[in-house]
Amino acid sequence: MALVFNGTTCLVTSTQFVNPGKGSAFTRAKLKNLRTGQVVESTFKSGESVEIADVQNKKCQYLYKDGAGYNFMDNDTYEQFALSAEDIAENGNYLKDGTNCYALYIDNNPVSIQLQPKMDFKVTFADPGVKGDSASGANKDCEIETGLKVKVPLFIKEGDIIKVNTETGEYDSKVNEASS
Amino acid sequence: MDFQTAKSRALLTKKIREFFDSNNFLEVETPIMSSCVDTEPNLDPFETFLIEKSNPKAAKIPMYLNPSPEIHMKKLLAQNSGDIYTLTKTFRNGEFGGGRHNPEFTMLEWYRLNADYTKMMEDCENLVLHMNTNLNKDPTKLTHQGHTIDLTPPWPRIEVNELFIQNCGIDLLKNRDFTTLQKTAQTYLNDKKKPYTLNACETWDDIFYKIFLNDIEPNLGLEKPVIVYNYPATQRALAKKHEQNEFWVERFELYIAGQELCNAFSELTDADEQRKRFEEDLLTRKEMGKTIFPIDEEFLTGLESITQPCAGNALGVDRLMMILLDKASIDDVIFFPIQTT
Repeated sequence: MALVFNGTTCLVTSTQFVNPGKGSAFTRAKLKNLRTGQVVESTFKSGESVEIADVQNKKCQYLYKDGAGYNFMDNDTYEQFALSAEDIAENGNYLKDGTNCYALYIDNNPVSIQLQPKMDFKVTFADPGVKGDSASGANKDCEIETGLKVKVPLFIKEGDIIKVNTETGEYDSKVNEASS
Repeated sequence: MDFQTAKSRALLTKKIREFFDSNNFLEVETPIMSSCVDTEPNLDPFETFLIEKSNPKAAKIPMYLNPSPEIHMKKLLAQNSGDIYTLTKTFRNGEFGGGRHNPEFTMLEWYRLNADYTKMMEDCENLVLHMNTNLNKDPTKLTHQGHTIDLTPPWPRIEVNELFIQNCGIDLLKNRDFTTLQKTAQTYLNDKKKPYTLNACETWDDIFYKIFLNDIEPNLGLEKPVIVYNYPATQRALAKKHEQNEFWVERFELYIAGQELCNAFSELTDADEQRKRFEEDLLTRKEMGKTIFPIDEEFLTGLESITQPCAGNALGVDRLMMILLDKASIDDVIFFPIQTT
């Protein structure tokens, strides 16, 4: 859900019920400003009216990056649009040609994208692991095909496909072995 | 919750018992379910019925899952139980989400005779220090989600009014009625360019909490635990009025890392005053279209026989575990947190 708070459109990223013991109940919400990415917290009284923002999610595909920024195509209309590096923010670390994702539209203007929470990436660089370390829980750095560095268990090799959590940038699991 | 956390939690539960047992409290079990419950308008107890198997035609008796052990604890005090504590499950319908609530949760409640709320403040300090001993290397230090919190007693104690004056320049004593507070609060919001509004605030308490929750509470107890005391009498519950100034009641809440952990009172033992508050609560419940509970006459009669001053404290155990074990959500310290999707 998104709402207009203090004149800007914000995405509600989490809510928490607050009962101060006496009197009305309240809801504490984390609000992400969709323009700046800044997150603020505000507490609303239950029953308080807020202006709901007209927000739409549309399926789109990432095409390429150029001087105009990150270029996408709307999967339904085939229309292309560009978003700036600021709009894309951290999500830029996970974009590869052809990535399917959702574009967030406010009042029919694309403002940001939303990725799948977990995505598969090929490991393009990893230090060779040390034998027998696989159960130790130790980590090493690797680089995935978008250039992002990810901490992975020692058994991950160059060429492996791994799942990465796109919200935290953390390694999730191994998908399959590098074909040798 | 993982089993490593479960082990730590089990150890901490033992330490809670150790603390109260060594202070000569009697551990008591109170009913999870009863026919009379706290009348507090904002609580929504789970409701069920008692049936008579031998007489299926008999009228079903409404029963409620207790949102607090308070009423039963006080009945025991009335029977000369002496100092008592309980670790019990309590239930509050509708309260979940956001990692700070679960509709079913563990409450630690304790009562001391011949004591007032200041003794309860000391109990809080000693209990938390006792629990943190052997858990963290230095028993006076605790790390919660990136905040290092110094537990060395005494913990700062600050009156609610002082917090409003310091943070917002609002003296509640000079803003005792709704219209005055509304005017002052609006000026404060305008001057400080606050992003929120008072539009939905219909009562004095609404404005109080709107400001408290937005601008005061999130910063409480980030470096040291903080005891916030003397709350407005409008939020009086079962608390005794302050000796010197009846605008306040002798109540405090403990905050660690921005989290409210407990709610303590010098207990009200005046049965007439208590009846008046119950009746007002029930009237409010009626206006809100909520279930009207019977007044617990046994409780009111019992209250009269508590002749010594008495203080009580209710502490949310899951939240305390979350803080001591450095977890982001209470879902990380309970097995099977409620899932609604």
